[in-house]
This record gives sequence, structure tokens and C-alpha cells, in this order.
Amino acid sequence: MKRVIEIIAFSTLIVLPFAACSNDNNSTANNVDTAKTTAELPKTSVETATVSIGEIVKGYLSLKNALTVDKTKEAATAGAALEATFKSFNKAALTAEQKKVFEDVEDDAKEHAEHIGSNGGNIEHQREHFETLSKDIYALVKAFGAGQTLYQDFCPMYNDKKGAIWLSETKGIQNPYYGKKMLSCGSMKEELK
Amino acid sequence: MSRLKKILLAIFIGFVAIQFVQPARNTNGQVLATDITTVVSVPDSVHTILKEACYDCHSNNTNYPFYAYIQPIGWLLNKHIQDGKSQLNFSDFGSLSKRRQESKLKSIANQIKDEAMPLPAYTILHKNAILAKAEKDLIISWANTAKDSLSQ
Repeated sequence: MKRVIEIIAFSTLIVLPFAACSNDNNSTANNVDTAKTTAELPKTSVETATVSIGEIVKGYLSLKNALTVDKTKEAATAGAALEATFKSFNKAALTAEQKKVFEDVEDDAKEHAEHIGSNGGNIEHQREHFETLSKDIYALVKAFGAGQTLYQDFCPMYNDKKGAIWLSETKGIQNPYYGKKMLSCGSMKEELK
Repeated sequence: MSRLKKILLAIFIGFVAIQFVQPARNTNGQVLATDITTVVSVPDSVHTILKEACYDCHSNNTNYPFYAYIQPIGWLLNKHIQDGKSQLNFSDFGSLSKRRQESKLKSIANQIKDEAMPLPAYTILHKNAILAKAEKDLIISWANTAKDSLSQ
């Protein structure tokens, strides 16, 4: 009997830390997509609404530059910062039509930025998310303008040779998908004013 | 009673007590109007693999093993299921915007290609969820085709 109690006690001790962190999840409803509930933006007052598309673009570019030099930790930091920028974005100033475009991109971009932020150390996975994020940011820039000249570049090799785009603030090619392995691989496709 | 026995007894009582805290089951049974099959075409061969290897944590219907009824294992599983569903829920795929659907399909292909999913912690107990090369290729090419069908 004593032996049995010992075994049960021991196994309980081992799994207890897991149980502790699972508790907070019990309250969330079963069939609700939690991604949806987190999509609600915190209300920001008018005077704190200093974030513009320009801030988002800046955040994206620093992420891109970190990937260009193969710095996975810096990319993670930039990804987390970009996610925060999206979260604090004040949509109140947008027209109904702009809001539609923004919201279409927002949830997707935020999720990719978040994953890049939480995958420091796995640069290939960060780049996978960066690829779709680039399309999202491109759509935003097309709709809102970036407040600066940007270049849409194209890497024909990435994604099983299906190719991938990215946005850059410099005219010269610096490929964020392969870093120093093939930094100058790619071509400029479009100049965005 | 020695001190040690008292402690063990307390732990044992605690273990029994937590058995009464059972998380809600993730079993819905019905196919929602927003199910993935309503959005893109899912061949039976693909659907079978998805059900076997993904649906426990990425749908509204988990096929629970017996040990899920033992706490705190059940809590741990519940956390995995909630996390999994928050990232991707095949049962409610249609509620996402088109942009996100494409994005998710691409991530499915990438996760399989990178062998990040199914999780090792899952396949160790679910041998059926270990995907053979042909099965992986099937999922990847399905996800890519489905993604392309959306972007047209």
C-alpha cells in the first residue's frame, strides 16, 4: 500500500506544474476561435494615436533588415515590436473603406509578426512567416502609401521556386530570405511612392 | 502516523480531489457551415489523414484517449487542444477571411514540410499520426492546391 501511495504521490508532483499553467485555459469557451477574440484592439485615445502606416512600415523594414543579416534574435524582437505596433494602431481615423482594407490585413499580419517574435532561434520558420507578412504589408502600402519610397523586390528561388516578394527601402537588392548565402539574389519589380 | 505518511496522505487526497475538476469536452459532433470542407475541396484521402493526425487538436471534435479522464493529464491535453484550435480550427475554417485562409493553408504545408507538426509529444502516443513521406506529400500538395483555388 505504501508503495502505491508513493507512486501516486510522485506522479502527482511531476505533473503538478503542468496543471498549474493549464488552469487559466479552462475558462475559455470550447468552440470559440480565440484568435478572433484577441482581434479586438485596445481603445486608444485621440492624443495617443501617433501610430500611422509609416510606423508599421518602419517595423516591417527593421524586421526585414534583421533577416537580411541572418540575425534571428533581432528578427524576433522586431517581429514582437511590429505586433505591438499593429495592436496599438488607432483605426478611428480611417474611413469605412480604409478600415475594411486595414482589417483584412491586420489579423493576418499580426499573427505572422507574433510567430516571428516567438521563434527566435528558428530563422527558417521566421522567414516562412515573413513571406506572407510581406504580401500583407504590400497590400497595406498599396492602399495607404508608406510615407516614403519603397521598392518591391522579388526572389524567384524561395518557396520551392514559386518565388516570394519583399519590400525594401533601398534600391539595391538585399535578400532577406537567404541572408548572406545569396544576399544579392533577386530583382526589383516595382517602385512604390 | 509518521510525518511522511501524513504528507503522502495529503498528496493522495489532493490527487483524488482534482479528479472532480474535469475540463469541458471538445466534442461537437456536427459539421459546421464553416467547416473546411465547405471552403475548399478536401479529397477523402486527405480528409482521412487530417482526421487521424490533426483533428484531435485542430477541430471541434477530439477523439479522447482513456487517460484524458485522469487529472492532471486531462488538463494538459485540454491546454494543447485550446492552443491548437486558436492557431487553426478545421471545423471553423470558413469564418476566417480569405487572406487568412490562404495564409493558414500555406502554414499547413510549411508545418508538415518542416516536420513541426504533428507534435512529437502527440505522435509518441498516437502512432497513426506519424505521417509517411507519401502522406506528407499528399497534404502539402493538397494545401498548395487549396490555397491556389482560393486566390483565383
